[in-house]
Amino acid sequence: MLVTLLNSQYARFAALAESWLSLGATAFGIYQDGHPLIYWPTSHRLMRPSLMAPILRGDEELGEIRVTGVNGEAFQQRLRADAALIAYVLQLEEELQLMTADLVISQDQQLALYRLTQSMRDLVTIEEILRVVLAEAIRMLKPQGGFATFEPASPEDRLLIQQPDDLLPDTVVWGLHRQGLTSERPIVRSETDPEMASLGIHNVLQVPLRIRGRVMASLGLINRPGGFDAPGIKLACALTDQASVQVERTLLYQEMFQQTRLRTEMELARRVQVDLLPHTLPRIEGLEIYAESRPARQVGGDFYDFIVEPGRPFMFAVGDVTGKGMSAALLMTMTRTAIHSKSQFMPFPTPEAVMRQSNEDLYNDFTRVGVFATAFVGQYEAENRRLVYANAGHAPVLYRPVDGEAVLLRAESTALGILPDAHCRNQWLRLAPGDLLVVATDGFSDVRGADDTTFGIERLLELVDRLHHLGPQALALALFEAVDHFGQGQEQEDDQTIVVIKGAAM
Amino acid sequence: MDMKTYSAGEINVLEITGRFDASTVQPIATWLEQTTSTPGARVLVNLTDTTFVDSTALATLVQALKRCQQMQGDLYLCGMRHPVHMIFELTRLDKAFSIFSDKERALQAFAK
Repeated sequence: MLVTLLNSQYARFAALAESWLSLGATAFGIYQDGHPLIYWPTSHRLMRPSLMAPILRGDEELGEIRVTGVNGEAFQQRLRADAALIAYVLQLEEELQLMTADLVISQDQQLALYRLTQSMRDLVTIEEILRVVLAEAIRMLKPQGGFATFEPASPEDRLLIQQPDDLLPDTVVWGLHRQGLTSERPIVRSETDPEMASLGIHNVLQVPLRIRGRVMASLGLINRPGGFDAPGIKLACALTDQASVQVERTLLYQEMFQQTRLRTEMELARRVQVDLLPHTLPRIEGLEIYAESRPARQVGGDFYDFIVEPGRPFMFAVGDVTGKGMSAALLMTMTRTAIHSKSQFMPFPTPEAVMRQSNEDLYNDFTRVGVFATAFVGQYEAENRRLVYANAGHAPVLYRPVDGEAVLLRAESTALGILPDAHCRNQWLRLAPGDLLVVATDGFSDVRGADDTTFGIERLLELVDRLHHLGPQALALALFEAVDHFGQGQEQEDDQTIVVIKGAAM
Repeated sequence: MDMKTYSAGEINVLEITGRFDASTVQPIATWLEQTTSTPGARVLVNLTDTTFVDSTALATLVQALKRCQQMQGDLYLCGMRHPVHMIFELTRLDKAFSIFSDKERALQAFAK
């Protein structure tokens, strides 16, 4: 340090030497450990100085000033004052160097943090973020290694990263992680802790990461030579703060992505469902017909279908596949296609035969994916004004003869896809003028109102009795309105589908 | 919805309290899938305190029944209240399931 000072302040030392020479000294020099560092005039080595004064830092002698040719207490005092001044300048120089070094480190760290922030913008997974932050913390703080943990609510998403990979057994790291969860602040532990000593850990710094208001992750650094000082802890905290922000951003991004995907899927499912429904109502002599399906936000698997073929009796179907979303929409398509193709192409289709063969087609696939479909298939016999129907587990189906009360038509067999053989049988009912058939789906009867009560079958029967004089469309709209009112404006939980057929004059 | 599971000898019992529907089905489906995947599993679902079942719940039970039968096991239902029993009747699922009036009768049936 003294040599550095002499180099940087040579002119000032030369001026000091000149002043001593002008006072009568024959030589002036600075020594260290008995060896000359610099002296004036250059021919004089000051082997026998007349006065000496040590340059002290505390008790430590950094060097000494020597002069020859002068003596006496006044000169000695001046020489001691010069030595003290040089010592003070040396101290200032040292402090300046330390401050400069700190400044350089701090700038390096700021730059590293800036680069980290920039680079983390491109990271799209939490694992990538934790990996980068851990690597950066190890690079900047130089411990032996470290770990990063992440433990969200769903256990399958938890993460453990170690650098190097085999730094500590996983169980130990999770143990440290759990202990860290109880603290909001960084924890520093040393080998004085018997638990740490037994693991070969000299020191450990653990910084919790607060994500969405709770400690969900942590960064741990193990065995830093010299331990973890306040600036080191601060730096680790700055790194984890960055990581917390980035993890929150990533979680938000993932949620938005998931929501968008779900919305797209729901929209697609709704389109599949709506597009596959008949776009026009059939005109069948002797019948008035109305049909409508209102999909829920998360669509179910409701459908209705009309099969009108020249020279063949009019047939229709109403069905409901269990499940929601795209899978329900696709399975609904399968069910509708099975029933439609049988009704359209069998030589002599009857509801019973259509239902049995559809069940044969669908049973294996439905069993594999764990769903079933309720279905009602009807066939109109215009000549004797009857409806032949088969009901595979479908409800509610209501019939109100013109001269009687509304009744519930119970299914005679289980839904499609439940048993390998459908035990459907044809049933008959009269559809003379005024006779009314309402085939709805459970989206009507299951609507939830106040006190968690459901709309139920009884209310539907009462309504059909009261409104039987209405035409099919007016009756259907009245039923939609009634269940909407009962649901008190709550979001529709399931699809609501209805087909209303009323006997009319020929 | 609350669910409670326990063993009565070799029989795995599931008791469902409250609504059993699309919004509450997940933990029940998970338990049933685990339990009915064991060869020869004997499972009893007690619906005494179940207030409502929807089609998703029914599908879950049907899936568990089929899996159980494939694994040579049995799945029985018991203790249905009137509204729940009516849903089973309307969909004719009463034909597919063995349904008992209470837990004791169902456990006796397993013993036969």
